[in-house]
Amino acid sequence: MASLQVENVVKRFGDFEALKGINLAAEDGEFLVLVGPSGCGKSTLLNMIAGLDSISGGKILIDGQVVNDVHPKDRDIAMVFQSYALYPNMTVAKNISFGLEMRKIDKAEREKRVRDVAGLLQIEGLLGRKPGQLSGGQRQRVAMGRALVRNPKIFLFDEPLSNLDAKLRVEMRTEIKKLHNRLGATIVYVTHDQIEAMTLASRIAVMQDGFLHQFDTPQEIYDHPANTFVAGFMGSPPMNLIPAKVAQNGSGLVAEVATEDQRTLHFQVTEPSEEISRRVGADVLIGLRPEAITDPDDREANAVIQEVECMVHVTEPTGPDTLAVMQLGGVEVVSRMRSSSRVRPNENAKFAVNLSKAVFFDSRTEQRI
Amino acid sequence: MSTIDRPAATRSGIVGWLQVQLPKIVLSPTCVITLVFVYGFIIWTTYLSFSRSRMFPNLKWAGLKPHENLWANPVWYKAIENLVIFGVLYIGIATVLGLFLAILLDQRIRQEGLIRTIYLYPMALSFIVTGTVWKWMLNPGLGLEKLMHDIGWAGFHFDWIVNSDMAIYTVVIAGVWQSSGFVMAMFLAGLRAVDDEILKAASIDGAGPVRTYVKIIIPMMRPVFLSSFVILGHLAIKSFDLVIALTGGGPGFATALPATFMYEQTFTRNHIDVGAASAVMMLITVAAVMVPYLYSELRAEKGVQR
Amino acid sequence: MSAYIPKERTWYHTVLRALLYTILILFALIYLTPLYVMVVTSLKSLDEIRNGNLMLPPEDPGLAAWVKAWSTACVSVECSGIHRYFFNSFKMAIPAVAISTIMGAFNGYVLTKWRFKGADLIFVLILFGCFIPFQIVLVPMATVLGKLGLAQTTPGLILVHVTYGLCFTTLFFRNYYAAFPDELIKAAKLDGAGFFNVFWRVLLPNSLPIIVVTVIWQFTNIWNDFLFGASFASGNAAPMTVALNNVVATSTSVKEYNVDMASAIYAALPTLVVYVVAGRYFVRGLMAGAVKG
Repeated sequence: MASLQVENVVKRFGDFEALKGINLAAEDGEFLVLVGPSGCGKSTLLNMIAGLDSISGGKILIDGQVVNDVHPKDRDIAMVFQSYALYPNMTVAKNISFGLEMRKIDKAEREKRVRDVAGLLQIEGLLGRKPGQLSGGQRQRVAMGRALVRNPKIFLFDEPLSNLDAKLRVEMRTEIKKLHNRLGATIVYVTHDQIEAMTLASRIAVMQDGFLHQFDTPQEIYDHPANTFVAGFMGSPPMNLIPAKVAQNGSGLVAEVATEDQRTLHFQVTEPSEEISRRVGADVLIGLRPEAITDPDDREANAVIQEVECMVHVTEPTGPDTLAVMQLGGVEVVSRMRSSSRVRPNENAKFAVNLSKAVFFDSRTEQRI
Repeated sequence: MSTIDRPAATRSGIVGWLQVQLPKIVLSPTCVITLVFVYGFIIWTTYLSFSRSRMFPNLKWAGLKPHENLWANPVWYKAIENLVIFGVLYIGIATVLGLFLAILLDQRIRQEGLIRTIYLYPMALSFIVTGTVWKWMLNPGLGLEKLMHDIGWAGFHFDWIVNSDMAIYTVVIAGVWQSSGFVMAMFLAGLRAVDDEILKAASIDGAGPVRTYVKIIIPMMRPVFLSSFVILGHLAIKSFDLVIALTGGGPGFATALPATFMYEQTFTRNHIDVGAASAVMMLITVAAVMVPYLYSELRAEKGVQR
Repeated sequence: MSAYIPKERTWYHTVLRALLYTILILFALIYLTPLYVMVVTSLKSLDEIRNGNLMLPPEDPGLAAWVKAWSTACVSVECSGIHRYFFNSFKMAIPAVAISTIMGAFNGYVLTKWRFKGADLIFVLILFGCFIPFQIVLVPMATVLGKLGLAQTTPGLILVHVTYGLCFTTLFFRNYYAAFPDELIKAAKLDGAGFFNVFWRVLLPNSLPIIVVTVIWQFTNIWNDFLFGASFASGNAAPMTVALNNVVATSTSVKEYNVDMASAIYAALPTLVVYVVAGRYFVRGLMAGAVKG
């Protein structure tokens, strides 16, 4: 297992800058997830870590060694691809042992390692089959087996679950997490699915358009997103961003939010930082996750709660809870109520807003304040 | 495929009946043509191979006599021998050459389009043109031999085309020149269809370019090999134009092939019965190759649809 | 992605790439040589040919051989050049291409959008006709043409080429229309379009690629054919390929290699021009025919 450092990495295709100075690192044994919408550059970065793509600027270090010009086969990395990339004309056993064969490991050792890995992934029965005869989930395991058998320093996963159906995806996600716990491997994982990122990662790198927005633990990214993009991308439904105005209220600060019926709500700013103080009179966005707006009797202890009453536009029962949509500050706001909640569309209802969880964003720069 | 059999609203009477029958009516000329001119003619010729036809078709039964004559004819044996030699070499060399050139062209070459065009243009020519030009180029006194002499290689001898033992190989040369570009095009398409991710996996696994081709990519080309063998095999069995233009079947009957044998027997030697027998033999050979191939191709297609 | 000989800057790779290009260019020259020889020989005088060699360019290039081939070369007994046979080939090819293409289009349409019992079987039976060695139909066809009074005529050849071209044209259109979305057809039918309207208004306007491929394929094969021409029209109605063979095979008097080559050029020119202009479609036709055998 090894550490990974990405220092100021830049990638250019002609005039187009696909990666604009990325800085991140993975400690030994960490599970690093690169997440972002299509075209954000996460796969490009992964290819560069693998050595499949050249680096236009910056450095990549594996275990402290600069590997910019090192061939993929010499970087001691293994990769699991989105389409699994199994060799169609070889049996599962041959597919798994191919990399070992190329590295001149002797036959007995190869066979032993294949058997061990097959046992770990529960694919012993498939060793004699060809990829064409396997299901999607089985192929995925074989692809993982091929990576595991090499015992590399770093594992790279390129959207490995995208081609599976929803149910299988959830199962495999848990499998991957279990494997990580068991092996303590250093993993770099690319996905566009933020749920995968949240559940698997020890640290997440949120990317967009070749730019790294935030690099932090899942909880930090969830609770304190660096900007409105991260706030909206991570979490489903996305964080509510409510336009408000900062105002002085006695000794404290409040955020003034307009309601549909021309009232003004005054939300107390629980942690009035210097940044917020400087913005008295300015427009900001209040970030509140749906679960921060809940049933009035469902209060979190030690939290600053403010009760509001709003007209509910739409209710969406999801099973475990009910989402209620209302309008605040001129935008749609989603709240998460208990499933037994009695809110109904086109009726007023009371909500408890947990202001301890509020984050503030500058309306213009979209960065967190 | 759609299962639209009846329009939602049918007109009644003749017009309605017509609408339903129209597809079959439109298809019927082709069906009739195929029935008569393909299958009917096959039966006809097969019958002729058991008949007493000589210069003109004669419907009197002659039993196995024509076939006996066929298999007693030394030229027929030469024709078969030549077909085997020509077939194996033509298919083998064209396939290997085509694969080789395809692999080279797959390496991100500048002007790839131009080079591909040059390799493929011979396919646009008639075999008669090909045979005519190569006949000239391999002319014993004025062709390749003279060229080599003029360059300085005085001892060079190349009279294959008039040499009974070697003439068949000139047919191979001309044939390979004509068809290898086509094989190359097929393999190039096959190579391009290989999933990028498999190449990346091979690179990470540590396979160099040669190993990647030998162990992974070329085995994936199995369907292209098969197509190539079948098509070239088919062309080889039908080879008539090329031989006629290049050697005329000669010297003597040194480059006789089943196709030229059939033509000669039927139109020149006035043995329609033997000619028919040889044609039947050719059909059986082609069918033995094509039917299993077509069957498996269509089965595969059916498996893919729905 | 090039996992193979990459474009890196080490000298080893530069040498490898240089070798690559060298081999490719060498083969290109080999493929082009016969064409070069054919053209160059046709522009030389007989003396030059006898005294020089294959590859020497003509000292005093002239079109004398071309004119001779066109107007006075001897095809069997007649010595009025190959021009008549050149036009014969067009007279034969153009109608044959047109008719077989149109019929093939309708066949493909019926076989894919109007399913009835046995449509697949019928298709296979038609398809098989593409692969038979034509030797098996020569005698019966000669007999039939004779009875119809079409022996040794251009219309007779047209009939033959249409007959044996149908299997290919049907194959091409059938495969193309099989991939054509059924929803469009259903929508048209719901809008009230009947059999012919669906064809004219929906399928045909979207069929340009396959029409081009089919026309090019048919034209090339029909123009290049020799067997049928030699068997059924060896006289005045002979196509260019038969005439070419006759010119070259004449063993009377002196062999005029330059006239032979000029005749070959006439025979090669139309299909070569088609290839150069629309080669991409030609290749598609080859591949379409190849994929399905």
